[in-house]
Amino acid sequence: MTNPTRRTPGLSSLSRTTISTSQYASHGASLRSRQTETLATQLSVFQSLLHEFSITHAKDIRSNPSFRAEFARMCNAIGVDPLVSSHHVSDNEKGKVKGGRYGGGSWWAQALGSTVNDFYFELAVRVVEICRETRSENGGLISVPEVRTRVQKGKGSIGSGIDSVSDDDIMRAVDALSPLGSCFSIMKLGHNMLIRSVPKDLNEDQGTVLEALQVMGYVTVSMLQVNLGWERARAMAVMEDLMADSLVWVDRQAEQSEYWSPAFITGG
Amino acid sequence: MASLTPSSTASTSNLSTASILQPSTKEPSTTTPPSSSTDPTGFSFPPHYSFPPFFTLQPTLSTRQSQLSSWSTLLQSYCRHLHIFTLSLLDALETPLFYNRTLSRRLSLRDARAVVDYMCSEEGGHRAEWILASQSNSSKKGSKPASDDEKTKLYIFWRRPEEWATVIEDWVDGTGQRGTVLTLYELAESDVTKKEEFHGMEEELLRRCLGVCVKRGKAQIFGAEGEMGVKFF
Repeated sequence: MTNPTRRTPGLSSLSRTTISTSQYASHGASLRSRQTETLATQLSVFQSLLHEFSITHAKDIRSNPSFRAEFARMCNAIGVDPLVSSHHVSDNEKGKVKGGRYGGGSWWAQALGSTVNDFYFELAVRVVEICRETRSENGGLISVPEVRTRVQKGKGSIGSGIDSVSDDDIMRAVDALSPLGSCFSIMKLGHNMLIRSVPKDLNEDQGTVLEALQVMGYVTVSMLQVNLGWERARAMAVMEDLMADSLVWVDRQAEQSEYWSPAFITGG
Repeated sequence: MASLTPSSTASTSNLSTASILQPSTKEPSTTTPPSSSTDPTGFSFPPHYSFPPFFTLQPTLSTRQSQLSSWSTLLQSYCRHLHIFTLSLLDALETPLFYNRTLSRRLSLRDARAVVDYMCSEEGGHRAEWILASQSNSSKKGSKPASDDEKTKLYIFWRRPEEWATVIEDWVDGTGQRGTVLTLYELAESDVTKKEEFHGMEEELLRRCLGVCVKRGKAQIFGAEGEMGVKFF
């Protein structure tokens, strides 16, 4: 009595175990299928609601950065990425649910009426343009806020619907470029986010100097010598290299040549 | 003047002008470096203007090209704002255009010349032109390279003469003055054109712009030096 699973003696227990096992199994299966059904219904309801939501709020998603960020966060929380192309999604679980109804094209593009997708792709195109335009000025390293300022300033010229964007949007847009195997990447230096559009690797010294630049605003050769304990020649060489890549600009009107990072020309 | 070495000019007068001669024009907001500073004249400078290395021409070629083009844009918008058609380079070096007193950074004479030379070039879109004494009477483009000493005055073409020609033609058209004889003085100085962008244009430049209209077959110029007239048709 104390132990409910204790074996009953005798041969009959053998067949009883088999029966109960199969009963458990069949019950489990029916439970599982019911759950799957419920989930499927829930998911399809959710999909249609999300679809409706995105259509009703298409304007907000486009024009209001904080609304968009919330929307993206919501999508993230439930494990869907608005930017992932359908080829992944529909082949896996989403396709099964709707029996491949959303076959070609992006599931999200259809579900969201292309709004979110297009927004980020448009934005990505703008970001690429800006990075290219300013490459000779900043060597392909530009701060995210600077890009945002430029996107907002230039919106009229290309007549796109990008009204206001947040830094978050810019970074999402850069992420959206990654399937293209592009060389665009987000770099974190200090507490600043930068977009690197030239795939050249920085060596350790250059990285250190760029980091110092974020903190100090500018560096001089002797600052590097004192703070990092570098030899003068080493410090000079690093600055020469960075200058050759347009990653720093020199100011020769200071007492000692000062090197500044053009990624922050806006000083935002 | 012009034979002084640019670097010494820059560093010596830097101190004197900034601290002694013009302390009153100093911006009160020296402690907060603004992203785009404004001039007493209301001109708002681009962000580059607050970036100290902008005032040192960069040794790296590609950086330098982009810097020159930024300077060209700055010069054009500054002159457009102040309605200036010609610049005297030596005087301009002391103005906020080339001299950011907040940062105490300035463009040296040599570098300013490089900027203008760039603007004169094909690459710079012919947005400037040196006014050389030897050819002041003709509107020919510089056929022989001028020495640096000659390069003191220049036109800033925030509109090219061809563009000006169109602007003037449109104005004549819009005010129904085709077939009327207008004097050059009327065009540039009279109250009628006060609101027009070409108001205040020097006669030399105006003649050149009208010359473009003539070439297009849109106008005819009469009269002699001093009292010239133009008729549009």
